[in-house]
Amino acid sequence: MSFETLRALIQGWAAAGWLPAGLTHGFLVNALLSGLVIGPVLGGLGTLVVTKRLAFFSEAVGHAALTGVAIGILAGEPYTGPYASLFGYCLLFALLVNYTRNRSNLTSDTLIGVFLSVSLALGASLLLVLASRVNIHILENVLFGSVLTVDDRDLTVLLAVAAGVTLPMLALFNRLLLASFNPALARVRGVPVKRLDYLFIMLVTVVTVASVKIIGAILVGALLVIPAAAARVVATSLRGFFLLSVAFASIAAVAGILLPVQLALPVPSGGAIILAAGLLFLGALLARLVMRGDEG
Amino acid sequence: MSGMGPSGRRANGPAILFDRVDLTLGRTAILEQVSLAVAPGAVHAVVGPNGGGKSSLIRALLGQAPHRGTIRLDWPGDGGREGPGTIAYVPQAVEFDRGLPLTVEDFLAVLCQRRPAFLGPDRRLGYGEALARVGMAGKGRRRFGALSGGERQRVLLAQALIPAPDLIVLDEPMTALDEAGVAIFETLLAELTAAGTTILWVEHDLAQVRRLATRVSGLNRRLLFDGPPPEMLSPERVLGLFSAAPRTMAGALAS
Repeated sequence: MSFETLRALIQGWAAAGWLPAGLTHGFLVNALLSGLVIGPVLGGLGTLVVTKRLAFFSEAVGHAALTGVAIGILAGEPYTGPYASLFGYCLLFALLVNYTRNRSNLTSDTLIGVFLSVSLALGASLLLVLASRVNIHILENVLFGSVLTVDDRDLTVLLAVAAGVTLPMLALFNRLLLASFNPALARVRGVPVKRLDYLFIMLVTVVTVASVKIIGAILVGALLVIPAAAARVVATSLRGFFLLSVAFASIAAVAGILLPVQLALPVPSGGAIILAAGLLFLGALLARLVMRGDEG
Repeated sequence: MSGMGPSGRRANGPAILFDRVDLTLGRTAILEQVSLAVAPGAVHAVVGPNGGGKSSLIRALLGQAPHRGTIRLDWPGDGGREGPGTIAYVPQAVEFDRGLPLTVEDFLAVLCQRRPAFLGPDRRLGYGEALARVGMAGKGRRRFGALSGGERQRVLLAQALIPAPDLIVLDEPMTALDEAGVAIFETLLAELTAAGTTILWVEHDLAQVRRLATRVSGLNRRLLFDGPPPEMLSPERVLGLFSAAPRTMAGALAS
């Protein structure tokens, strides 16, 4: 089924009153589809990010996207989707962080702090150069997301990335976790720890970069972290942790996209999505307190 | 041909041969010219002071530390089995976030199965039975992070039983065990020995080694002795192992 057919179907349901009236607009249908595609993937991968203590890393990769966009525009890519530079720069950034981490005696947070600062400095400098060339307000979209401008090309990228990340994530879920529990034990059980480390940061990077258009470079890392953090607070098993994280991320993405339109709020999509995730996190904390109260 | 274990039973486990193994970290020599033979089906203990290279010897055996010299596993060739058998490893501890929503069964599933652990444990792999063998029956649903140190150590032993090992490498498995845990460990060693498993066991508790091992090697950078425990663990040899040689470890003996 092409995006056009799917869009027409959803618009038809909205016109018939089965779905919110806003979905009669094609651009909002695109936005919703993008949220439904990437939300569950971010939620699922987020459980591994939180368990492997890579929250700061995923934030840093998101921020690196800013520099990636600047390089893309300088290189003449379309400012609405400079994907080659985005993916290229962010992958380089992530691989360099991991490579250096394996070869220096610095802790991860220190090393990521250094790389993040340098990358942001480079991005900020390039943006100043760009200011004279393009309308700098375009960068607001990069920073905070512009889900309402998602087109078929963006949806295709999102779908390809979602499939390309979900399959290895599911196939290697246990091994990725085990590598962080005890590398020696993982190796005895046939897990190629170092190679999986690289693979995992590449998965995090591509899913982050693909989500920049929806959530924005500033906040994109947060949808990998907040839903998983909320799920970790209330879950009592790995199954609950994973399923709740997927559910929270999907709800946050859909609510963040639809609510501002329904309520006519002038809020960027990225901000709305992360605020929705934040509310879920707050709810999870309260639920935990209530459950503890019951136990006590 | 399948080897015969020290007790005369047919062994499924491999013989292990360390031949002039050197291991250096930076400029520090951790192991020097260590030559050692572990018989198939043996309960072979390695003792020595902290920093004497016991854990490094294990890491070298498991292919996780660059070393010079040869380490060879000779697997029994008959029984229709091709290639190497199953190696299990029991580390001293696992690093993980204690608050992680991870049950004991989840933990075993992460280690032992390919199907994502969040889809639930694969019952065919016998997690319940393995937990029962270490005295943890009925505790599969408990949160792994909420277990006591001794219980966690038992779960680490349980994971090594899935699938049934031919060689099991134990890195100080008794450190956190209580009295009941020690009895369970003893039974487990007997069961594994009866199954012909080769056991390489790094341990600091010399009394337990004297009781349970079929052979013991003293290691402090170099191999200082190697033989049956009653003869090898004489007071003079033990004093020599812990006080003499490369690093002074008189304190380790006192503790």
